[in-house]
This record gives sequence, C-alpha cells and structure tokens, in this order.
Amino acid sequence: MNPTSPFSISISAIVVLSMLGLPIGHAMIAGSVLYLYAAGLDMGTAAEQLLNGMYTSFLLLAIPLFILAAEFMNAGSIMDRLLSFCNAIVGRFRGGLAQVNVVQSIIFASMSGSALADAASSGKLMQTLMTKDGKYPPAYAAALTTVSSVIGPIMPPSIPLVLYALVSDTSVGYLFLAGVVPGLLLGIVQMGLIALTAKRRNFPVEAPVPLRELPGVTWRAVPALMMPVILLGCLYSGVTTPTEAAAVAAAYALLISALLYRSVRPTDVYHSLRTSARLTVSIGMLIAGALVFNYVITAENIPKTLSAMLKAYEMTPLAFLLAVNVLLLILGCFLEGTTIILVILPVLLPTAQSLGVDPVHFGVMAVTNIMLGLVTPPYGLLLFMMTKIANVPLREIVRESLPFLYVMFGALALITLFPGISLFLPRLLGYAG
Amino acid sequence: MHPALSKAVDWIRTCAEIAVSALLAVMFVAFIVQIVFRYFFNFPVGWSSELSVIAWLYMVLLGSAFWLREGEEIRFDLLEGASRPAVRRVIGVLVAVGAVVLFAMSLPATIKYVTFMRVESSSYLKIRLDFLYSIYVVFAVALIVRYAWAAWAALRGDAAQDVHVTQKGYGL
Repeated sequence: MNPTSPFSISISAIVVLSMLGLPIGHAMIAGSVLYLYAAGLDMGTAAEQLLNGMYTSFLLLAIPLFILAAEFMNAGSIMDRLLSFCNAIVGRFRGGLAQVNVVQSIIFASMSGSALADAASSGKLMQTLMTKDGKYPPAYAAALTTVSSVIGPIMPPSIPLVLYALVSDTSVGYLFLAGVVPGLLLGIVQMGLIALTAKRRNFPVEAPVPLRELPGVTWRAVPALMMPVILLGCLYSGVTTPTEAAAVAAAYALLISALLYRSVRPTDVYHSLRTSARLTVSIGMLIAGALVFNYVITAENIPKTLSAMLKAYEMTPLAFLLAVNVLLLILGCFLEGTTIILVILPVLLPTAQSLGVDPVHFGVMAVTNIMLGLVTPPYGLLLFMMTKIANVPLREIVRESLPFLYVMFGALALITLFPGISLFLPRLLGYAG
Repeated sequence: MHPALSKAVDWIRTCAEIAVSALLAVMFVAFIVQIVFRYFFNFPVGWSSELSVIAWLYMVLLGSAFWLREGEEIRFDLLEGASRPAVRRVIGVLVAVGAVVLFAMSLPATIKYVTFMRVESSSYLKIRLDFLYSIYVVFAVALIVRYAWAAWAALRGDAAQDVHVTQKGYGL
C-alpha cells in the first residue's frame, strides 16, 4: 500500500489520534475528513454520510431500547430475587456461590446486551457476597465475574449482534437465536471448570435451600425470568420488529419493576433514563464515526480487493475462519471491540461469503471472539473495570481468569469448527442458511 | 477555569443531560404508541418511527457535543494513562489541535451540504431537512470550541478531570 495515498494518511491519522486518547468516534470523523481533503473530494460528504446513515438505520434504535430495558430491570429488586433463585438451584453444590455467579450471568444475559453493563451492575454485589467471611479469594471472585459477564452479549439481546446485523445485512432475529447455544456453551464450560476445581481449592457449600421453598423462590423470580420469553416471543411470532421488541422489553421491565416489585420511584426512572442515555451517546458516537469511515473503506474498494487477494491463496473456508479468529484475537488486544465489529468485520465479510461461510455463523463466531478480547490483556476493558470495582490488582485477576480463558477458547474453537452449534436453533425456526 | 465560565459549562452540561434523557423517553414512548396503534387499533402510524429516528440522531449529536466529557466517550486511554504528566500534556495539545484543524477544515463544506438539504423535507412530520440536519453544524462547532479549549487547558497544564470507571463509555 502506498504510504502517501489518501487512504494511508487517513488510517494513520485515525490510529494516531485514537491511540492518543481522542474519542474513537471523533477520530474516525476527523480521519475521514482528512481522506476527503487528500483525495480532493467534497468534505461535506462526512456530514452527509453521518446524517443520512444515522437517519436511515432504523435497526440501531434497538440499542438504546435494550439498554433501557436492562436499566429498568436493574432499578427494581430483580437482582436480589434472581440471586435467591440461583442460590436455591446451584448453591447446594461445592463452590455453590461461584456457580451462582455464572447462572446469574446467564439469566441476566437474556435481559441485557452488554458485558460491561452486566459487570458494572452485578460486579460489586457478587464481589461482596463471594468474599464475605473469606469464602473465596477476592481475585478469584473478580475473575469469575469478569469471565461470566462475557456471556451477556452472546445470548440475546445483544448490542454487538445488532451492530453486526447492521453491517452484514443479516436478520437480527436469526442472529439472536444463533447466539443462544454458544452463550449456554460458554456458561457450561465455566461451570464445569468451577466444579473441577472446587474440591481441590476447598470452596464452600452454601446452606441448601429446602426443596419445599423452591416453588416460592422461583415464583418470586418468575416475572424476571419471563423477560427472554417475551422478547423472543415478540420476535419470532412476527408480532413486532426487532426494534419494537426492544421497546416491548423495556416497557415490560418498567411495568414489573413498578407494579409487581413496587420498588421504582420517578427519580429511579429518571436515573435509568440518564444512565441509558449516557451509554447510548457513547455507542452512538462511535457508530456515527464508523458510518463516515465506512464510506472511505467502500470508496477505496477495500473489501473486494481483500476478497480477490485471499481468493488467490485458495484458502479453505476452515483455514479462513481460523485465520479470522487469530486476527481478531490479535486486534482485540489493541482495538476496541465495537470498532472491530463496525469497521473490520465488513471488510472480511465479502471474503467469508465468497468462501461459502454462513454470515450468521460468522457473526456469532466473530462476536464470541471479540467478547473474549474483553478479558485478554493488555487491552481488556472488562478486566480494567473489575480491577476498579473489586479493588483487586489487575495481575491477580488475570492469573485467576486464565484457566477460564483456556476453556472459553476451547468453546470458541467448537463454535468455529461446528457451525451447527450456532445455526441449529435458527434452522429449527426457518433459517435457510 | 474562571468560576463564572465553569458555572456556565456545568449549566450547559446539565441542560444537555436532561434534554438527551428526555429524548430517550420520547423515543421509548413513540415506539409504544406505534405498537399500540398498529395492534390494538389496526391503525399504523408513520410519524412515530420518524420521531424516534430524529430523537436518536439528536441524542447522539447533542450528547456528544454538550454532555459527555471526553473520558465518558468510547476511547483508548491506555497510553495516556501510562505516560508521565509532561508527556500527557504534549499529547493533549497535539490531539486537541489535530481535532480542531480537521473539524474546522470541513466546516464550510458541511454548512454548504446542510443548507443544500433545504430542498427536501422529512416524510411524515414535513420538517425541512436543512433545519433537521443543522444539528450537525452545531455539533461540529461545539467540538471545535471544546477541543480548542482543551488544547489551551493542556498548554497551561490543567489536567483533565478523571472519570470514574463505571462512567466510561463502552459499546460491548
């Protein structure tokens, strides 16, 4: 590539500006402006791409609404009820509280689409519970919350999968369905690892909840457990569009928090709105920047060039997928995940499709990979967040999370090698891929 | 920062916070109205989706221009956090100046594009697009002013306020 071409200059500007701390969305707009200037094009195109792109991507409205739904859920006393439910089920085993952490994450994953939001909302509580009376080492508790939060955006609803649907033109409904089994798989390997190590490390058992109390505990958690049923029900009955399903989920969350649990005041509603709005702005700005920069990538014909180049190597689909996994893991060490989905994946997609890789499978695999990037140093956002929330040194969290990372990489390999793991559910419900 | 100026900035930020949160509420309600009208009254309404999309566009641009601090946006702060205060200052100046130059460079063409859009109106609410899209000009000017200020502050050695970990922006 010519280092003085407009495209190279633009990429360099974006990398330098964002590495030095400019918000990535702003950096992508600025770098694209530089491209337009260097290529002698109309610099108003940046505004045009951003405005028209934001104005026409109706699908993206699902993101603020899903964030809002999770926030409304958090505002009620739902977390307490979920935890007593999880404890009643898996607390009785050795390492019970650790298992509760994972099961709680799996259930919460079906209400929230963001791993960092999951860690931020339940991290402090889980940390206190697990380290009380020295039950678990603080670093182990923090590592577990970190790795189990990863499940959130793989199970529906999922912000990264909505973003992938946008750039790949695949159905959000099928993508959401395709994330269910891989998400459960990650939870299962984590629980398996806990069970294996619990005896050796002598983790405590929680006082078993008598079986006769189980119906009551479950009943108290039912309104929260119904959330995924309602969400998926809306989507697959065709009653609503995916974006509308997000609004229904938010309305449902608000309704049960306010009516059933009677624990929501107007100030709580405003607080939820404000927290969701802040998150929406930060994601939205990054999307806006990516919309502008993707114009540059398209104008330079990068995806087609790459596709032609790789075709010359006569890669098998499997070799391609493995190469993509390695590439994404490396990029994940340095790049922010949302940027990878919005900028890198569209470049790889045409090649994937020309090799006959299913776009839904490709999306779930890539998102799983990118989520693992949140837990891999040097740039692991979840790790950074948990070291602050749990007040445990980064190095110790990394050490305790390594065994989990290994089994999760194993799960990622299975998801890559066997498309059936992700495609089984969508095919059952009519996906033709 | 001068106390009066600092007060004004806080006031603008609070107004933006309320406005953006209200826009999210508007989007939410518009969706519920849309669903209720279509399924219970069998009467599809188009204006609601247009209203939601406008709310989304304005949330992002207003919020990024007037509400969020740089630390609350999605950004890469690893290098910045690892460098010495003196280096951080130089980096701060360079980045802010770069942003000012690039956004200012595109401003005339941006204004031209937005005013050109007066020929079109939105489909349902019939709002002229130059009016609707003018928010981008406001956003660009606000960023230019903010980054110019940030460059000046870094030059004088005022460190940017640290943002708590749970307030940092993220997309995953």
